[in-house]
Amino acid sequence: MMAKVKNRIRRLRFDNDEMTQEELANHAGCTRQTIIALEQGKYVPSIELAFKIARAFGVSLEEVFQYEEAR
Amino acid sequence: MAPLQKRALYGLVFGVVWTVAIIVVFITKGGVNTFSEDQGFRLIIDGLWIGGLIFYAILMLTLRKQTQVDERDRLILGRAPVVQLWAVIISLVVWTLVLTEIYWEQGIPPIFMYIILMFTFIVSAVTQSIGILIGYWRMGHDG
Repeated sequence: MMAKVKNRIRRLRFDNDEMTQEELANHAGCTRQTIIALEQGKYVPSIELAFKIARAFGVSLEEVFQYEEAR
Repeated sequence: MAPLQKRALYGLVFGVVWTVAIIVVFITKGGVNTFSEDQGFRLIIDGLWIGGLIFYAILMLTLRKQTQVDERDRLILGRAPVVQLWAVIISLVVWTLVLTEIYWEQGIPPIFMYIILMFTFIVSAVTQSIGILIGYWRMGHDG
């Protein structure tokens, strides 16, 4: 059974006046490269970073990240 | 390219130039025999390898003082010692096998302990950069 954490960061940036990756990175306290890796699904963030990203958008954690189990 | 990744790349380029420079100086100045007998020559080589290590230390420490390293970078940095460890183990195995076979009859000259020590530090420093670059490469492929 495979589990995967997906996210809507790209969509949420678009909905927030096309917030740039750099701006989001500054809000969340990480590098732009990490935001790129997150959007491409190549990195799963820590709980702390996930909360910071959700807070940067002013939404709950589950509106940004979804945990999916695939059989 | 992440700042840490960039530093690792600079570190690798420097490491290759540094290693080649030490090997060239070592060979052109007379090799193991001169190294064993000439203290001035040993000081030159010491200056080269210790100077290189100081450069590596500055390269990594100045980065950590800045806020350019985040959790993903720290994760990659934390995995790099695995590559360093394997590189050091393999280099020590090679040194042991080669020296034992060459000097089986007469015994290994003690000066090789000095050379192995120097070589181990160089391998460890260069492979840290390689480990970091592998970490970014792997994260780019399978997270």
